[in-house]
Amino acid sequence: MRHNLVVGSENVYNRDSIAIGWLVRAVAYRCTKKPLVWCEETRLTTAKKDDWGPFSSLPGNPLMWVFILSEMLVFSAFFVLYAWQRAADPALFNASQQLLDPLTGGLNTMVLLTSGLCAAFAIQAIADNNKRRCRQWLGLAMVLGVIFCFIKVLEYIDKFSAGLTPETDSFFTYYYLLTGFHFAHVVYGLALLALASWRTSRVNVEIVTAFWHLVDLIWVLLYPLLYLLR
Amino acid sequence: MNDTLPGTKRLLITWLLLMVLTLLAMASAQLGSQSGWQPLPMWVIAIVLASAGFKAQQILMIYLNLRVSSAGWKGSFVTLLSATIMLIFLAYFFAGLN
Repeated sequence: MRHNLVVGSENVYNRDSIAIGWLVRAVAYRCTKKPLVWCEETRLTTAKKDDWGPFSSLPGNPLMWVFILSEMLVFSAFFVLYAWQRAADPALFNASQQLLDPLTGGLNTMVLLTSGLCAAFAIQAIADNNKRRCRQWLGLAMVLGVIFCFIKVLEYIDKFSAGLTPETDSFFTYYYLLTGFHFAHVVYGLALLALASWRTSRVNVEIVTAFWHLVDLIWVLLYPLLYLLR
Repeated sequence: MNDTLPGTKRLLITWLLLMVLTLLAMASAQLGSQSGWQPLPMWVIAIVLASAGFKAQQILMIYLNLRVSSAGWKGSFVTLLSATIMLIFLAYFFAGLN
């Protein structure tokens, strides 16, 4: 018997959730092959959180956790692959890693962690029904995200101008692949934060900030791997 | 629902902890080799990796609020993190033997 998936609670999800709802629908369909119901008012339709079985105990939107888990698995696989590739030729990886600046990476780590704190404060604000304060925190989180991107782009320019490209050697292939993949997540996260600032609702802010914290989480593992460990 | 969210004090303490651990990891990586860019001793690699793993765990539990979830979910995420950190450490350990 084929069941349709439904998400959220009618009290929680409102029409402001439509845009982010498309993201949820896409993830839901990809993971379960079950379509989400779209009700007559084109809003995400209703279900109690208990309908999610084991996912019910997770905070926020269960589908976001499906997404977080899958992203963690993908990045974990990349990190382990990098470490074992390095083990095959540590001298080459160490020589190339020497060309990176650990201080720049560390600064970016602190910028992103502070941005994550702002995102956490945004959740608090929207939970207190303070939309204005929530938007201020989301705005600050975005500013810090843009600073992260600015520093990263400067680093890329510096490396490219020194002739260090993804084809230089295995280390730089991984460097550009991993940081580039993460950078794409940051840019996407910034777009989502902007969307939540525009259509500010509890569910939107919860989903978007969860994604933003995932971006944080990946970077705190990526930074020591590429910049510090040798 | 609001009372399940981490409070301001808790968020600030977590942020401070994450910042201090980042600085500690940076300092450990610099202090590990006295003469420039030398391979790090295994104990420094262990500290930096453990610090990174703990930071990721804090982001999961506090920022993502996984601490209010069931023990099964918390255990699953921590196990995934621990396995990743352990496999990375083993790779560095074997690289150090060569």
